Amino acid sequence: MAATKKISLTEDDLVRALRGHETIAIQALYDMYSGALLGVISRIIQQSEIAEDLLQETFIKIWNSADSYDSSKGRLFTWMINVARNIAIDKLRSKDFRNSNKNQDIENNVDFIDSQKKITFNADTLGLRDMVTALKPEYNDVLNMVYFKGYTHVEAAEELNLPLGTVKTRIRMAIMELRKHFN
Amino acid sequence: MEESKAYIETGILELYVLGQLNAQEQREVEAMAHQFPDIREELNAIEIAMEHYALSHSIEPTVGLEKQIFEKIIPAPAQEPSVNSATQKEAIVVPLHDDRSASTIRTLKFSLVACIALLVISTAALYSAHDKLNSANEQIASLSTDREKFAATVSYIKNENKELQEIAAIASDPTWSSVKLAGTKISPQANMMVYWHKQGQHVMVDNTKMELPENDDTHQYQLWAIVKGKPVDLGVFDAQTQPKKLLLPMKEVSDAQAFAVTLEKRGGSAAPTMEKMVVIGSVSI
Repeated sequence: MAATKKISLTEDDLVRALRGHETIAIQALYDMYSGALLGVISRIIQQSEIAEDLLQETFIKIWNSADSYDSSKGRLFTWMINVARNIAIDKLRSKDFRNSNKNQDIENNVDFIDSQKKITFNADTLGLRDMVTALKPEYNDVLNMVYFKGYTHVEAAEELNLPLGTVKTRIRMAIMELRKHFN
Repeated sequence: MEESKAYIETGILELYVLGQLNAQEQREVEAMAHQFPDIREELNAIEIAMEHYALSHSIEPTVGLEKQIFEKIIPAPAQEPSVNSATQKEAIVVPLHDDRSASTIRTLKFSLVACIALLVISTAALYSAHDKLNSANEQIASLSTDREKFAATVSYIKNENKELQEIAAIASDPTWSSVKLAGTKISPQANMMVYWHKQGQHVMVDNTKMELPENDDTHQYQLWAIVKGKPVDLGVFDAQTQPKKLLLPMKEVSDAQAFAVTLEKRGGSAAPTMEKMVVIGSVSI
């Protein structure tokens, strides 16, 4: 938990700088999180050019709506990931994007992206992928559908033909496994 | 404690972190987190787990993207639409276009230089071609003049040749009589030759064998035949250094004892001016 405190301290500084529109904030955020945010966006929108446009949009939104971030409601990075994911999902569901991507199979997004993109692993998270893929597939599938493919948990339940409660449980179990790994 | 633990067990906190809840549900989770520190802590742990999960799936953006984003963000502090920030905005946006236009201008400069070089070469080539064409034209003109001169000469020589042959034929033909006219007292040096075909009544003056003083524009020589002591007009002629014809046909006469030439006014006279008689010769039979 000491590591967590240290990160949250840095986060306080970041949040303060971001609210004060200090350019160092956006530079730090970019250095730390651009890869992760692009990873999230790219799993929802595969076209790398569009994904980078959306990453740009994400940073602009983070910069312009820093005031709407409430640190009492959650961590900055989580908020940023949700901003990125919402922008990507909006794009995925936009009429023009749907028309130009009718033949794309959304089911294969994660595998497709992972095979196309060089994924950067941190030393401390090395082996995580093995761990995650070693999760029971039914847990992994549900988490990925919601976290990386732009499904709502309700849609995931319909898609997998499962009760909503089962989907919720599986998401919780998957995240519990992740937490075990990081602790 | 029991209440918060049961709440955690529902899995609603995970859905909250994943952004799966509606506004009302979110407010409920936030209220619970505010009330129970262990819920707050649980949320935090879920967030960190998901953040690690996201970080482990990082994809590095293209190198230039960072600059693009900063250029869009930094000059636009929305709350201060002052003149200063407006100029700053421009100052930062411009270099991005500058880079492109600079390379475009460089390309255009090279193109311009290449075009000018090409133009100079073309002009030089055109000028040289024009020069050559001019000299070729001059050559053609001079050749054509030469050719005309040559053709004229050839035709002149042909005529001359024909007439010379005629003269030769006349000289060797016994039916033609050659009459040599010798100079009189007023012009002892003068002499000329007249050919006469008695049967055909033809009379020819031989320009090649004529040595008469050149007549002026107002006078002409007139040939006379002396028929039974009386002069008969046979026509006029000019004495020239470069005669047009070698053999000059005169009027016909069937009977003549002698031929004489007098200098008369242009066109000739009805009767000869005896004191202006330059040559005379009798027909020898």
